[in-house]
Amino acid sequence: MTERDFDVQGFARDINQLLILSALRTGAKHGYQIALDVETESNGLFKFRHGTLYPILHRLEGDGMIRGSWAKDGGRRKKVYDLTTAGRKHLTGETDRVGDVVARLMSVLRHPGEAPA
Amino acid sequence: MSAGTERVFTPLLREVGQGLRMPLPAQTRILRELEGDLQALTAQFVADGVEPTEARNRAMEALVPDTQTVSALGHIHQTWYRKITQRLPAERVLRLERHTLKVCTALLLGVEGVLLVGTDLLAYASVFLWPVLALGSLNFALVLWKGFELWVKRDHTRMRARLDGILGLSFFTLLVGITGAVIDLSRMAGTVEASPELAGTLVRLWLVRDVGLLAASIMLALTGALAWFVFTTWISHVEHAHQEIVGTTPVPNKE
Repeated sequence: MTERDFDVQGFARDINQLLILSALRTGAKHGYQIALDVETESNGLFKFRHGTLYPILHRLEGDGMIRGSWAKDGGRRKKVYDLTTAGRKHLTGETDRVGDVVARLMSVLRHPGEAPA
Repeated sequence: MSAGTERVFTPLLREVGQGLRMPLPAQTRILRELEGDLQALTAQFVADGVEPTEARNRAMEALVPDTQTVSALGHIHQTWYRKITQRLPAERVLRLERHTLKVCTALLLGVEGVLLVGTDLLAYASVFLWPVLALGSLNFALVLWKGFELWVKRDHTRMRARLDGILGLSFFTLLVGITGAVIDLSRMAGTVEASPELAGTLVRLWLVRDVGLLAASIMLALTGALAWFVFTTWISHVEHAHQEIVGTTPVPNKE
């Protein structure tokens, strides 16, 4: 990874996307269930508030990372999201990238002045 | 969850919908998704022992989009047409649209003219064929504009505007065709009365001339009526879906 690969401002957005993709790894879910799972699995560290979940979901759907479909539940239609093959691939690749970024960050924070190996 | 509880979110969804600047079907899909999630999350909180009002408030806090999120959704669901034209001033876009419509209509009329010249229809044309063709062309321009507005530009602010015009013009085209044929018939009858020896020739001429006129007027009227039916059905379907969610006839924001 070069310096040009890393966009500091986009990092938070990428993390949100990865959290959603990760929540869908175990199967198809409603939007609210994704938000709950992310919150539970991160012990309340990551929360989606004020509907911030929806733009991320719709962007991921537009990019083909997840697939939205309507399911009937008690006469009402509810939207369910599922991970696509492209989304699964993206999740794996991006998880490695985020791991690398965090490792470098920790290296800088813990050993300032030393070039990373 | 009871139907009464489900309707609790209707005013809220209506309010959110007013802020969503996007085509109506996309707006309806977002509101339907939000409604489903609000109901399910509230039910889950209630099942976890939270008091219903508190459960609703917590679900709304988590899921109802704030102004910034609504704006982000509007950006994501922007139409490709809007993405292309958003950098141009609105007046310039409107001028461009009108010119394009004129060019398209003129092109089609040109093709139509070439086809007509190639047939015998014009050689024995009734004088009433010209107003019928003019009305048909005007109706075609209206249909083209409406289709562009609904499905390309996806501006759903005044979906039913000009629909009556399309149906009215279709009816008027048919009326002019039928009236013309009757007038031609009456004229021919007068001539036959004066010169009975020309009856055979005149009747054949009337048939060739006015069958063409009637066929053209019926075809143009039916095409206009069919376009009106397609537009009306689509609009009703879209409005009904939206009404199911927000409880009122939509008055969407312009994108």
